Amino acid sequence: MPREIITLQVGQCGNQIGMEFWKQLCLEHGISKAGILEDFATQGGDRKDVFFYQADDEHYIPRALLLDLEPRVINSIQNSEYRNLYNHENVFVADHGGGAGNNWASGYHQGEQVEEDIMDMIDREADGSDSLEGFVLCHSIAGGTGSGMGSYLLEALNDRYSKKLVQTYSVFPNQMETSDVVVQPYNSLLTLKRLTLNADCVVVLDNTALNRIAVDRLHIPNPTFAQTNSLVSTVMSASTTTLRYPGYMNNDLVGLVASLIPTPRCHFLMTGYTPLTVERQANAIRKTTVLDVMRRLLQAKNIMVSSYARTKDASQAKYISILNIIQGEVDPTQVHKSLQRIRERKLANFIEWGPASIQVALSRKSPYVQTAHRVSGLMLASHTSIRHLFSKCISQYEKLRKKQAFLDNYRKFPMFADNDLSEFDESREIVQNLVDEYKACESADYIKWGMEDRSKAMSGEGNATGSLDSRAALL
Amino acid sequence: MEDDVVADLVKQLVKRIIPSPGNAKEKSSSSNGEHQDTTVDRAFQYAMRIIGSRIAPSIASDEVAMAESIKRQLVQEGRSSDALTFADLHRRFASLNGPGSVENRWSVLYLLRAVSDDQRREAAATKGTAVPFTSTLSGAAALGGLQALPKNAEHPKLQVPQPDGAPASPSPKSSLRNGSVRLSKPQSGGSDHGPQGGVLILSRDGDNVKSVAIREYMEISQVESEVTEAALVRDVVYACQGIDGRYVKFDSDQDGYVIDANVKVPRTTRVLVRRLCEVGWLFRRVRNHISESLEDGPLEAIGTVGQAFCAALQEELGDYYRLMAVLETQVYHPIPFMSGSVTNNGGNYLSLRRLAVWLAEPLTRMRLMAVLVDDCKTLRGGAVAGAIHMHLQHGDPLVRSFLKRLLRRVCAPIYEMIRRWVLEGEVDDLYGEFFVGAQPVKAEALWRQGYQLQTSMLPSFIPEPLAKRILRTGKSINFLRVCCEDQGWAKAAAAAVATVRASANGRGGLGYGETEALESLVAEAAGRIDRHLIQIVYNRYKFRDQCLAIKRYLLLGQGDFIQYLMDLVGSELSLPANTLSAFKLSGTLESAIRASNAQYDDSDILDRLRVKMMPHSDGDRGWDVFSLQYDAREPLTTVFTEDVMAIYLRIFNFLWRLKRVEHALSATWQTMKPNCSVGRASAIKGDGVKSELTVVLRRCQTLRNEMNHFVTNLQYYIMFEVLEFSWANFLAEMEVAHDLDELIAAHEKYLSSIVEKALLGERSQLLCKTLFSLFDLILRFRGLADRLFENARETEARNQNAARQRSKDLHSGSFSGRKSSMSSLSGDFLTSISEEMDAVAVEYSSLLEGFIAQLPAQQHVDLKFLSFRLDFSEFYTRQHMSMSTTPLKFKRTSLRI
Repeated sequence: MPREIITLQVGQCGNQIGMEFWKQLCLEHGISKAGILEDFATQGGDRKDVFFYQADDEHYIPRALLLDLEPRVINSIQNSEYRNLYNHENVFVADHGGGAGNNWASGYHQGEQVEEDIMDMIDREADGSDSLEGFVLCHSIAGGTGSGMGSYLLEALNDRYSKKLVQTYSVFPNQMETSDVVVQPYNSLLTLKRLTLNADCVVVLDNTALNRIAVDRLHIPNPTFAQTNSLVSTVMSASTTTLRYPGYMNNDLVGLVASLIPTPRCHFLMTGYTPLTVERQANAIRKTTVLDVMRRLLQAKNIMVSSYARTKDASQAKYISILNIIQGEVDPTQVHKSLQRIRERKLANFIEWGPASIQVALSRKSPYVQTAHRVSGLMLASHTSIRHLFSKCISQYEKLRKKQAFLDNYRKFPMFADNDLSEFDESREIVQNLVDEYKACESADYIKWGMEDRSKAMSGEGNATGSLDSRAALL
Repeated sequence: MEDDVVADLVKQLVKRIIPSPGNAKEKSSSSNGEHQDTTVDRAFQYAMRIIGSRIAPSIASDEVAMAESIKRQLVQEGRSSDALTFADLHRRFASLNGPGSVENRWSVLYLLRAVSDDQRREAAATKGTAVPFTSTLSGAAALGGLQALPKNAEHPKLQVPQPDGAPASPSPKSSLRNGSVRLSKPQSGGSDHGPQGGVLILSRDGDNVKSVAIREYMEISQVESEVTEAALVRDVVYACQGIDGRYVKFDSDQDGYVIDANVKVPRTTRVLVRRLCEVGWLFRRVRNHISESLEDGPLEAIGTVGQAFCAALQEELGDYYRLMAVLETQVYHPIPFMSGSVTNNGGNYLSLRRLAVWLAEPLTRMRLMAVLVDDCKTLRGGAVAGAIHMHLQHGDPLVRSFLKRLLRRVCAPIYEMIRRWVLEGEVDDLYGEFFVGAQPVKAEALWRQGYQLQTSMLPSFIPEPLAKRILRTGKSINFLRVCCEDQGWAKAAAAAVATVRASANGRGGLGYGETEALESLVAEAAGRIDRHLIQIVYNRYKFRDQCLAIKRYLLLGQGDFIQYLMDLVGSELSLPANTLSAFKLSGTLESAIRASNAQYDDSDILDRLRVKMMPHSDGDRGWDVFSLQYDAREPLTTVFTEDVMAIYLRIFNFLWRLKRVEHALSATWQTMKPNCSVGRASAIKGDGVKSELTVVLRRCQTLRNEMNHFVTNLQYYIMFEVLEFSWANFLAEMEVAHDLDELIAAHEKYLSSIVEKALLGERSQLLCKTLFSLFDLILRFRGLADRLFENARETEARNQNAARQRSKDLHSGSFSGRKSSMSSLSGDFLTSISEEMDAVAVEYSSLLEGFIAQLPAQQHVDLKFLSFRLDFSEFYTRQHMSMSTTPLKFKRTSLRI
C-alpha cells in the first residue's frame, strides 16, 4: 500500500517536464535508463513504489501516462535512451497526430472524444495500485493540448476519482516575451478555471520567473526549454522527496498538502529552490547552512513565480503557509535557530486570521546523486501575491476579449458553439473570485469575508446559476 | 689535671694487679725490689700506651663471637681448662647486671684479646717475659694505627679515641676482669694463686658502696616476700604463655593474671606482676580467638580471610613463643654464684623488672593483636581487612610495619578473589567475604541485579570507584559468559594479564599495599573486557540497529509503516476493545510491514515487532489498548528491561495518539479538499443558504487549520526537539561509552529526555492532560466536520439533480420551484451544526489558550521551542492581546498562575 501517485503528462510541455522529472527520479533511486535497478542501489532506504511499479521482470516502470495530441515530443522520448523505461501501453498519441493547434477548445474537445481510451489507461493504472493516493498532472496552461485536454482530464478525474487527490504542475506562460501563441490568454483563463475548481493543489511554475532565474541566478543568457525544464524537474523531485524517503512526518501527499492549504480555494503554491544548478554547470559553491537555505528561500528572486504586484500591494502580501523541505546533512537543532532568526528579522509576513508558521521537513538526499552542496532546500508556499499573476491573466484576457480577437477558432467547438461565450465569462468570474479570495486572505477579517459578501453574492446569483446550468448541460 | 688523675689511677691499678712474687700483700709497692719496679713501670707504661692509642676494632662487634674466638684460641693452644675458666668468667661477666655492670663487654674482650695476642707475638720472638712490653707498641700500633706514644699527657685526644673506655671507666669489676685475665696469663707458668687473688680483691671490695646498697635493698625487699622473685619470674613467664603458675593464676573475677591473694608479697611486686601479666592476658585473648576460630567454630563463620588473619596471628605468636622459650631458659639460668654472699641476693638472671623490659616490645605487639582480635571478632571477609586497615594510621613505624605485614597476609585471600573475579569472573567466595555479592537471578537481570557491591565487605583501602570498576569487570565477564555465550573475554583477560605483567617489570602479584598493581590490573582487565563486551553488544547483538529499530517502530520514525498501520487498523480500533483479536491485528501488522519500506528491514528485527494489547476495561476502544511492542531479546534485555519497555510503551501511546489525531485531521481535509463537489459549488457563489453554508464551511476550515497547525507543529517539535535531538545526543554518547553501564546510562538518559520533553514526565501531568483533551476535542471536531460535509454533499447532489431537472424544465419552459429546491439544505441543520462548531471552537481556544499559558510554567524542561513554534506568526499573542481587554482576562490570568 505505498500510496501510489499516477502521473499524467499532457501536451508538449507536460511531456517534456515529465520526462525530466522521471530522469531525475531514476537518478535518485538508482534506476537505469532501461528501468533496471543499478547494482549499487540497494541500501537507499527509499520508496520506489510510490512512483514506480515493478514489472514481472523486475523492471521499474513509472506510473506515468504520456498523453499528447501530436507525436513529436512523445516520439522523441520513445527514441531516446529512456524508451524502455515507460510502459508502452501508457502512451497515447492522437491518431491524426495533428495536435490541438494551440487551441484550448480543440484540446478540450479532443480530450472529450478520446476520454474512453485515456480513462481505460488511467483505470488500469489505478487498479494496479493498492492504495492510490492521487494524480499528478504536468502540463502548461498556455498551449492547446496541455491546457485544453488537461482541463478536460481534470474534470474527468474529479468526477471519476473524486476522493483522490489531484495535484498539478502547471507551467504558466512567459509574459515577458511575445509568444507565438496569441490566444494564450484565452487558454490560460479557461485552464485556470479548471485548476481552481477541479484540482486540489496547483504548483505554479511560471516560465517568466524560471527564465529570470536562469538568466539572473544561473547566468544563462538565453535559457532553453531544456534548461528551464531541468529547474522544473528539480522542483518536482524535491517536492516529492518526503514521499519517497519516509520519515517521521509528511509521508503522504495529503499530509503534505493539507497543512499547506488551509482554505480549499487558495490551493495555488509557489515554489523556490536553492541552491540551483543546471546540468553540467558548476556553480561557485556557496556556504549552505540551514539558515542560509531558509533565508534564500524567502527571497523573491528565488521564487519561481513572478510577482506582478505593485510595491504597495506587495507589502500587503502574506504567506498563508510555508513548507520548507530541506535535504542533506542537517543537524535538527539548526532548524530551530534558523526559524528564530527568520522571525526576529521578520523575513516572512503571515496571515493574521489564523496561526501559521514555517514548517520544515527534513529529508534525505539520494545517496546516488552527487551534489556539491551539503544542504539544499525547496519551499512550497501559499502566498497571497499569487493573485497578481491571476489578475495579469485576467487583464490580458480582457485585452483580447475586448477586441473580440481570435474567437473564431473557439467557436468551432461545441462549448463555444452558437457564439456562446459564457464559458469565458464564467471562467473570468471564477478567476476573479479566486483573486478576491486571495486578497481577502490578506486581511485579518478573512473569516467574515463570506458574510459581508452575501449581498454581492446575491446579486451575482443569476450569473452563477447560469454558469452552473451551462456546465450541467455540457456534462 | 685529669690526665694526672688517670695516670695515677692506672698506676694504682697496675700496682694492685701486679703484686711482687711471693708477696701476697697488695700494698707492697713500696717494698718492691728493683725488678718489681721495672715490671710495674713497664706495665704502667704499657697501659698508658694502650689508653693513649686509638685501638679501633676492625671487626664487627659481636660479643659472643669474640668470646668464642678467645675460647677457641685457648683450646687450640691446648689450654682447655683455661678455656673453661674463661667461659665461666665470661658468663659471669655477661650475666652481671644492675648497677656497676659493664655495658661494652665486647670492647673489653677485644682489648684483652689484643693484649694477649701482642704478648704472644713477643714471646714467640724473644722468649723472654721481660721483653714483651717494649714491643707492645708495635702491636698496639698495628691494631690501632696510632704511632705516637701518648706519653704526652696534654694530648687532647687522649681519651677520645678509646675503643669504649674500658680503662677510662674505672669500674672495679672491669678492672677485676682485667686483672683476672691478666693473671691467668702468667699462669702458663703454673701459678694457681693469680685468679684467686683477683677474686678475693673483688669480694673484699667493701668500698663498693653502690653494690652494697643494692644488695641491701634486695635483701630488704625480699624479706617481705614469702616467695622468691625467681619463682615469681617463672610464674610470670608461665602466665605470659597463658599457663597458670604456682602463685600467679588467672583470676576471672579480675579478668587478669594476679598473684594469689593468699601469698604475701609486697604490693609493688603484686602490681608489677599484674602489669607484666597483661601480656599473658592479651595472649590468652589472642590465642582463644585463634583456637575458637580455627578449631571450634565452623569455617563459614570466619571465612578464608578470617583464616588468614588467624594464621598471621599464629605466626606472630610463634615469634612470641620463641621469645618465651628463651626467657624460660633464662629463668633456669641463674647467675652462677661466686660465693655464698651472693646467694642471698637471689641474683637471678631474670628479675621481674628485667622481665618488664623484655616484655615491653611483645606487649605492644600483643596489645595490637588483641585490639585487632577484638575489632575483628564479629567481622568477616573484607570487613576484617578494612578494620585492620583502620589501625594503620599510626605514627609508630613499628606498629605500621607490623600491621602491614599482617595485612599482607590477611588480604591475600581477598586479592586472590579480586584476581579471579576480574580475570575469570568467578566469585571464589564460599563464605560471603568478597565485596562483590552474587545473587542467583535470571539471565536478563544478571547485569542489573546479579551482582552487588557489598559495602560492608569492602576494605577501606580499596576506593569505591575502583571497587565499582572491579565489580563491573567481573560482571562483564559473567554477562559475556552467561548472556552472550561468548568466550572471547578470556583472550581479553589474558592480554590484560600479559600487559600488566610486562609493565610491572616482574614485580610480584597482587597484595596489600600494591594498590597501584591492583589498579593497573583492574584498569587493564576492565578496559579490555569492557571493550570486548561493547564490541559484542554492538557487533553481534547490533545494539545500534536495535535502538534504531525501536526508534523507527516504537517511536514512529518509519512514517510510511505507521501510516499504513494506521490506515489498516484504524477502523478496527474503533471497535470496543474486547472484540478485538490480537491475532487479526498481528496479521494487519504484517501487511503494514509488507506494504512499507519496513519490508526491507532485517527479518530478525521485524520478528521482534509485535502487537500488544494492553489490559482493558469496559468501554475501552481499540485505540486505548492497541500498542506495538519490541522484543529486544537477551542479552539486550539488560538494556531494554521491562521497565524501559514500559516507558517506550508510554511514549508510543502518546505518539500514536498524536498520529491518530493528525490522521483524522488529514482525513477531514480530504473530505473538504479543494476539488470536492461541496467546495466547488461554493466557489461558484450561490444563494443565501449557500452563502450561509459557505460561512459554516469556512468556519470549519479555519478551525481545522488551527487544529492542524497545532498538531503539525507539535509533531515538528516532537520530531526535531525531542526525538531527533535526543537521538543525536544518544548517538554521541553511544560513541564514547566505554562499558555497558555507560551505555545503559546513555540509553536511560535518552529515554528520560524524550519522556520529559514530550510532556510525559511527572511534572507535566497537567499539561499532558490538557493535551489529551485537545486531542479528544479534535477527534470530536472530525466527527462534526464529517457530518457537515456528508449533509452538504447530499444537498449538493440533490441540487444537481434539481438543476438537471430544471434545465429540462427550462427546455419545457417551466421555471417553477427553482428557488425552493435549491435551499433544501435545511437552515436548521446548518444552525445546529454551526452552533456545535462554535462550541467546539470555543472549547478548543480555551483549552489551547490554557495549554500555551502553561508552557512557560514548565521550568524543568525547555518548552520554548514548542511555544515558539505554536505562535510563530504571533497569532496567539495577538489573539491574547485583543482578548485581554475582554472580561475573559480574569479567567486567563488565573490560568497563567
